[in-house]
Amino acid sequence: MSEFTDQSAPGSLPSGFDFSLSSRNAQLTSDSKNSGINMMAKKTGTTIVGTVFEGGVVLGADTRATAGTEVADKFCEKIHYLAPNIYCCGAGTAADTEKTTELISSQLDLLRMSTQSQSRVVTACTMLKRMLFRYQGHVSAALVLGGCDISGPHVFQIYPHGSTGKLPYTTMGSGSLAAMSVFENEWKEDMAESEAVDIVKKAISAGIFNDLGSGSNCDVTIIRTDGSVDIKRGVLKENPVEPLRAMVNRSMKFTMASGTTAVLKDTFVKAKKKVEEDEMVTN
Amino acid sequence: MSILAYNGAAMIAMAGDGCVGIASDTRLGVQAQTVATTFQKVHKISDTIFVGLAGLGSDVQTLSQTLKFRKNLYELREEREMKPKVFSALLSTLLYEKRFGPYFCEPIVAGLQEGKPFLSGMDLIGAPVFTDDFVVSGTCTANLFGTCESLFKPNFQPDELFETLSQCLLASVDRDALSGWGGVVHIITEDGVRTRELKGRQD
Amino acid sequence: MGDSAYSFSLTTFSRTGKLLQIEYALNAVSNGRTSLGIAAKDGVVIATDKKVSSTLIDVDAVQKIQSISPSSGFVYSGLGPDYRVLTRSARKNASAYERTYGERQPISQTVKQTASLMQEYTQSGGVRPFGCSVLAAGFDEDLEPKLFQVDPSGAYFGWRATAIGKGFVNAKSFLEKRVTPDILLEDAIHTCLLTLREGFEGEINGKNIEVGILEKETGSFRILKEEEVNDYLNEAN
Repeated sequence: MSEFTDQSAPGSLPSGFDFSLSSRNAQLTSDSKNSGINMMAKKTGTTIVGTVFEGGVVLGADTRATAGTEVADKFCEKIHYLAPNIYCCGAGTAADTEKTTELISSQLDLLRMSTQSQSRVVTACTMLKRMLFRYQGHVSAALVLGGCDISGPHVFQIYPHGSTGKLPYTTMGSGSLAAMSVFENEWKEDMAESEAVDIVKKAISAGIFNDLGSGSNCDVTIIRTDGSVDIKRGVLKENPVEPLRAMVNRSMKFTMASGTTAVLKDTFVKAKKKVEEDEMVTN
Repeated sequence: MSILAYNGAAMIAMAGDGCVGIASDTRLGVQAQTVATTFQKVHKISDTIFVGLAGLGSDVQTLSQTLKFRKNLYELREEREMKPKVFSALLSTLLYEKRFGPYFCEPIVAGLQEGKPFLSGMDLIGAPVFTDDFVVSGTCTANLFGTCESLFKPNFQPDELFETLSQCLLASVDRDALSGWGGVVHIITEDGVRTRELKGRQD
Repeated sequence: MGDSAYSFSLTTFSRTGKLLQIEYALNAVSNGRTSLGIAAKDGVVIATDKKVSSTLIDVDAVQKIQSISPSSGFVYSGLGPDYRVLTRSARKNASAYERTYGERQPISQTVKQTASLMQEYTQSGGVRPFGCSVLAAGFDEDLEPKLFQVDPSGAYFGWRATAIGKGFVNAKSFLEKRVTPDILLEDAIHTCLLTLREGFEGEINGKNIEVGILEKETGSFRILKEEEVNDYLNEAN
């Protein structure tokens, strides 16, 4: 037994997916009355982009999460942390992008501790593609990976089946075509940071306005070769909710008066902390 | 019809000023047939954490028991109370572990963390959504979103929060065949939890 | 474990009620290079003697203090290879904890899990106990800096300041005289180096010791660079 061969050393946690309900679910969903069931997992019908500029990379994303045609979240985060110098935009099934990036981030963390060196973007890319390939596309995460390491700034695109591409600029998600049109029109080599950020904002806006799956605001993350990172949530708020809500002039009739609702039973359970406090006072 | 809508459910969690509320209907049906009108879908995890589970009845009960078990284990092991944020993360991990054979359940979490409201919702495989106003789940989310968007205002006091939650819920379930048959509303404050059973249409 | 005649636990009670293997393991620890730590109000410092047995050894390749998460670190006295098993498991557990609960693992939990692993090796068949004691620096659930010690038996203790390894008795009584409950990190680092120098054979410098600090302000653990250690040593002169 060695620390390298024994993966299930005492005290270690069980890991990986749990398939115990799979056969039950297959039965439930194969029932004729319930045939053709779509699992109602949240998707991020999405526009995500990434580009290299002379001093780093810029990643961009919209902030809409959808469940079917319903907007489930108007201001979600699609640019995920992988390492201090690497971030990753995710499109596809929300849980998959969230958990896949979380898992790889934690693996990179362990790798950094044992190698005592900065994570490389290619390493993150390889770890992600290996995981996605292992699940043959069932973990549906389409990613734009970006970061700066010892060999400079890099942007990768990763498809759910595990194929990857190293590109100077890329777009992914349902709004990728709209966003790409902006890049194809305006992208230049060795742009300045401000120029790159402007193109990213414009590309995300193209997704927000032309793709139904994308919407709300634009998030931007800048990772520079000097090691600094700028995370900007909602740099563009073209569809703000607050003023819309403030505009609604509600009649007092919409403020529910006390006693409006018919109540059958009313109970109050004091919090344990309060009960203890009271006992202290009486003692 | 989706398995998620097999038994029917409607629930909302909403933030107030130093308080948070969670409301759900009480129907358990087998598709169009109503089987019970007192089914518990909102579960108390601790004085400051409540979870609403909308979906397949059996998974609702299994999950609620698993969650209470995991919360108790955590509190014994760590000798401290679980915070709503931690609970929400735990629930999300639990759901994603079963990514390829999920519980047919879409949970919402309502909690008080250091006196401030905490709200989160997630899909059946644990993709979390955090909000500071309201979250909804169940078979009539479109209705619920509609009523909440029109009746919600920031900084409700506990009583206002109760009336708003109740009216949002009742109005929504009356336009949904799969949910309704009464409701229950919990208003959580630092002092304790007020639970009210609502009179709803029985059709 | 295997079915051989030796697959019973070597840690079997002697007639006097002692577990000799554990005592031998503790001997291995007290023969090891000295390590010590102080928990200050605004952080923790852990330090160790890392003299090597031959001048041919590349000292830069030796690292005894290891980070377990961005906000915790271990150091040991005793057998290096055994220590590696512990850090590997602790790191993995800390990562898994953070993924499950969305929160950094309190150091008390890291310590408990490490102690459980070490205990298991005192009761299982076909294995021997770990030949090292560990000092763990980290934050508890209220983000207060804490220092713990874990022994080969699986026993663990919380300390304001302590020492393990060669000369630990003297080092501890040295610390007892100098460490106050409201000591600050800068002061603790100096006291730590002073204590280490006291029992040190030969000239102490940034090359033959290692210092790790946990700062409450930044919330992060880091190992001091050779120059930084030398600066602290010069300040003390």
